[in-house]
Amino acid sequence: MNLSQQLINGLVMGHAYALVAIGWTLLLGVARLVNFGHGQMYMLGAFVTWWAVTKAGVPYALALPIAMCVGALFGVIMQRVMLKATLEQNLVSIMIMTLGFGYVFSGGAALVFGSTGEILDTALSRQEITMGDLWMTWQDAAIIVAAILVFISLKWVLDGTRIGRLVRMVAEDPKLAMLAGVNVRRVYYGVFAFEGAAVAFAAGMVAPRTPILTSMGFDEVIMTFVVVVLGGIGSVTGSYLAGIALGLFTALFGALVSPAYTTAAAFLVLIALLVLRPGGLSTGSAGGVH
Amino acid sequence: MNSSAVLALRNLKVTYDGNLAVDLNSLSIAPGEVVGVVGANGAGKSTLVNAIVGWSRGTPRSTGEIFLADARVDGWSTHERIRAGLVLVPEGRLVFASMTVEENLSSAFSTVSASGRRVYSREEIYDLFPRLGERRQHLGSQLSGGERQMLGIGRALMMGPRVLLLDEPSIGLAPKLVSQVLETMRTLAASGLAILLVEQNVRAAMAVVDRLVLLERGRVVLQGPAAQVGDDPRIAQAYLGATSE
Repeated sequence: MNLSQQLINGLVMGHAYALVAIGWTLLLGVARLVNFGHGQMYMLGAFVTWWAVTKAGVPYALALPIAMCVGALFGVIMQRVMLKATLEQNLVSIMIMTLGFGYVFSGGAALVFGSTGEILDTALSRQEITMGDLWMTWQDAAIIVAAILVFISLKWVLDGTRIGRLVRMVAEDPKLAMLAGVNVRRVYYGVFAFEGAAVAFAAGMVAPRTPILTSMGFDEVIMTFVVVVLGGIGSVTGSYLAGIALGLFTALFGALVSPAYTTAAAFLVLIALLVLRPGGLSTGSAGGVH
Repeated sequence: MNSSAVLALRNLKVTYDGNLAVDLNSLSIAPGEVVGVVGANGAGKSTLVNAIVGWSRGTPRSTGEIFLADARVDGWSTHERIRAGLVLVPEGRLVFASMTVEENLSSAFSTVSASGRRVYSREEIYDLFPRLGERRQHLGSQLSGGERQMLGIGRALMMGPRVLLLDEPSIGLAPKLVSQVLETMRTLAASGLAILLVEQNVRAAMAVVDRLVLLERGRVVLQGPAAQVGDDPRIAQAYLGATSE
């Protein structure tokens, strides 16, 4: 294995981490919510995409928006159940409820889709781009492009549109936003719907890289947690950079030391960073979303 | 209930953790009227104006009837009351620190069909408070207390209020600005806006209000035209009590 190939793997993985984490970044920045059901929502997104492509015969490009709609719907349902706790910022209840939702999703998916591993095959994942010794699949290239587009679009919406301004107002001070006439509940619903749709989209893009199982989700939620905290809570740019940093770290650590300990090593880095820079990598994290 | 009132309260009770903070039989304000609410610290002044829009940074319980013109609004959520023209400028944190002055002003919900409501434009706010115009690209976090106060009032005016509830607008303002802000209130009232002004600075408030309401432990103990009740010893007592705390 040469180093250049590991860097390419790391970049692909990094964009995948960032893409998977983007919904939670917004959720945490705007509503101060952690969603420990995030990994299982990723699993659901992967299986809905797989079901649409292999069982319903829908083209992959159409299966993605279907998975996103299902993800958004689950997000809205979760928010409906947790709305009171969200408005009161009862974070412990929310943590436990999201954890519970994750297990419910996991069990429900096993009932519907079975417990055996499946392969989400797309036209892109079977074709490779080679440059000398180096290679990646077209799916990998699509992940990088999609992640960059999603991050740029989100940044643009937050900084340059009226909806983005409403979201930033609620992120900074939901009580004050109410006094400016903002329907804060609707913003919370919207943010959770975005979380659901974004993680489903990420799953549809990233899941073709590996076999999918209804029991998966733990690695995804853990890696997302690292990305979101490392990037600085609520920082869109920060979580993009943190995703790439984590991807490169995982690839290089896996190649140079051992793939078995990458998650442990990633957490060691996170703990060290939180001691040195409690606000995460992003500077000026004064709360809110940016 | 006075039929010409734009805001009317009946049997308003607000409790915090079972303690009665406001217990009001009735209070109403006519268009163009400025009513001052005075009282010592903890008399329930802020609790009262917050309850009118169903808002608080804490978790009070509130019962009673609140009418905005002919509509009963006490069952409405805060943003609905705000959009209907019942606008509060709160005490304390009243601007978005991470947004510029310009963004803070744009953050106001834009009133589309304001029947008879005076909706200020951003430029009009800059005319009213030239200091804000000079600092339009500054972040909320970079503003002085007085500038934040002006920004809070400016945002409120851009929402086309029918009733403006002001909680301690003189806090953080230099004495010269206090009289400027309070004089602005008179100008606004002249255009038909009803104003409920909570003010610790009774002497400054006296100069602009039509009517004074004195609260003591959540109850109205005295009310009447400012000229009549202004000399009542109970007002001086509350005032001195407040400043000595």
